[in-house]
Amino acid sequence: MGTGDYLALAAGAGNTIAISLLAIAIGTPLGLGLALIRWGRVRGLDGVVATLVSLLRATPAVTLVLLVYFALPTVGLEVPRFAAGVATLTLGSMAYNCEIWRAALLAFPRDQLDAACAFGMPRGLRFSLVVLPQIARAALPALVNEMTLLIKVSPAVAVIGVTEATRAAVRIGATTYNPIPPFLVALAIYVVVIGFFVATQRMLERRHRAGLFA
Amino acid sequence: MIPHGIEVLWEQRDAMLAGLATTLAIAAASAACAGLLGLLLFALLISRIRAVALGLTWLIDLMRCVPFMLFCYLIYYGLPSFGIVIGNLMAGIIALTIYNAAYIAELLRGAFAALPREGIEAGQAFGFHGWRLLVRIILPPVLLSSVPMLGNQMVQIIKDSAFLVIIAVQELTFAANEIQATYYVPFASFVCAMLLYWGLCLAVEGGVRAVVAMAEVRR
Amino acid sequence: MAALSLTRRGVLLGAAAALATTGVAKALTLAEIKKRGYMTVATEDDYQPFEFTKDGKPTGYDQELLEMFKKSAGFEVRQDIIPWTGILPGVTTGKYDAAVTAILVTQERMKTLDFCSPVVESIDYYLKRKGDKKIRGIKDLNGLSLGVEAGSAMLKMLPQLDDMLKATGGKLGKIVSYQGYPEAYQDLALGRIDFVVNTRLSLESIAKSKPDTFEIGEPVSKPTYIAWAVVKGNSELLATLNAFLLGTRKDGSMYALQKKWFDTTFEHMPEAPTADV
Repeated sequence: MGTGDYLALAAGAGNTIAISLLAIAIGTPLGLGLALIRWGRVRGLDGVVATLVSLLRATPAVTLVLLVYFALPTVGLEVPRFAAGVATLTLGSMAYNCEIWRAALLAFPRDQLDAACAFGMPRGLRFSLVVLPQIARAALPALVNEMTLLIKVSPAVAVIGVTEATRAAVRIGATTYNPIPPFLVALAIYVVVIGFFVATQRMLERRHRAGLFA
Repeated sequence: MIPHGIEVLWEQRDAMLAGLATTLAIAAASAACAGLLGLLLFALLISRIRAVALGLTWLIDLMRCVPFMLFCYLIYYGLPSFGIVIGNLMAGIIALTIYNAAYIAELLRGAFAALPREGIEAGQAFGFHGWRLLVRIILPPVLLSSVPMLGNQMVQIIKDSAFLVIIAVQELTFAANEIQATYYVPFASFVCAMLLYWGLCLAVEGGVRAVVAMAEVRR
Repeated sequence: MAALSLTRRGVLLGAAAALATTGVAKALTLAEIKKRGYMTVATEDDYQPFEFTKDGKPTGYDQELLEMFKKSAGFEVRQDIIPWTGILPGVTTGKYDAAVTAILVTQERMKTLDFCSPVVESIDYYLKRKGDKKIRGIKDLNGLSLGVEAGSAMLKMLPQLDDMLKATGGKLGKIVSYQGYPEAYQDLALGRIDFVVNTRLSLESIAKSKPDTFEIGEPVSKPTYIAWAVVKGNSELLATLNAFLLGTRKDGSMYALQKKWFDTTFEHMPEAPTADV
């Protein structure tokens, strides 16, 4: 493999990381938003969110990215390629995160909320000071697990032409007919990136079990 | 434009349904094989021989860092470098099997770790060892408590089968893509595929609920 | 803004195109493009020798023609490089103003697209592994598995090969549809399929770059034309592109590019594309 190839793989890795981080950054709070809508039993919206989440969790990333990039423009929503990739990963992640946040919210002890109400805490303050810190700690291991799943599904954006790490490796293999070296490099890239997240998740789980969190 | 799309889809329904059938067949075959392989790996994971258990844990951890799409390419385009050339359908099923077997082994191990130790110790006191201990004492509660997570894994297999489009397997997403590329109806085509995947997943979830309900009755 | 020089023929072509029934109204007309300041085109990402990436930069016959057009256009031309299956739907649904890529002109496509003046003439050939004694002539293709690009005109034209085989008592074997030709060539080299069907020009390109692996066979279709396309009814944009293309024929730059990329020139192509298929 020549230096040109290594550069192409590095650029691909950069794209993978960029797309994944953006999708994680947007998808995690969006998932919380959806979970809150369901937790608050907002009339009408509750059912819509439940259906949307169920639908998104069932859709493969490849199918979703093709829909976002090729089909949405026909109903007026133009999406540039990189953004379509980020949007697809965000949508999938958001649906899974909604369920994770919801589980944490449902496990939240009601008596703390009642106590906060008794003290006359306004809703916003109640949420940000009492609820959010605790559910964030409880949900963290599962959220980080979801982040690793997102990175593992990120090569799906290659089918709309985004040159992320996997596609870069495949391209090199398709011209040299010697695919193993670029595949191994791409593999190493993913192991490092995902390994970082998995190690973080393990550490969080251990601290959770040790009772360092409420 | 959308009514036109639905019209075209109805005309092309055979192609779409053929894709759906292929997806189903691949998912079923892979799930069965992954289940069996996963059970075997699980047995090895909880083995007394530390080298085996540790080595396998290591391999499974490595596997969980690999994106499925890359794994698919590795099996299909990488193996020929070692002289092993397999057709795309076989390669897809093998990739799905190995990949998901690792996850199934891991989730069974998690269920096993959550089991109360007393049951197993009682079994050992009564003279159950090795295979018999595994099959009669360990597996039933492990499998029963894992049913929802196994259902999740089944859904994962169905979704991962869509990646096989990259090695020219003519499953559902491939069918939808070919229809839209030929008749220019991307919205109808992909929404239809999405709804079909949703249907499959709802069926799996329904199945899981039925199994759990049956298990409750038996208990 | 550079003055657009329309030759008389360009005007006639434009008028003829304008007489065609209007199609999807979503694509921008020339006036709207000028107002917006830029035009969007789609190119395939790996289709040698028409458009492909070398050392990270897009290059190829269509790419070089497009570079020449960008210089003379007078507005910005934004190029998006995407897989084949997204290009034609992208044009008919208005996502892109034009597809600047090697599209085979077929009657079916002429229902929804307006084709520009042809850029090359083409015939489909088959490609086989070098030294494959199993295939000595077309009739040996009977029952063998073949690779072709998904959703392509080459796939649509396979019935012509089927007819040829039927005439010698055979028929087409298994057809494997790939997302792109590089994967098909790779599988041919690996022995998973027995031959690949593609335009002669593309096959010559791959046979030249890998002479120890592949060799070209014989024609398996009737001659057709390859052209760029805009959505049906987008007549002024069509006229602009045609004016440019016919200009490159007149000053010889198109033939120079053909010589560079195909080692041959097609100097007797009609000005408006036609299709037997």
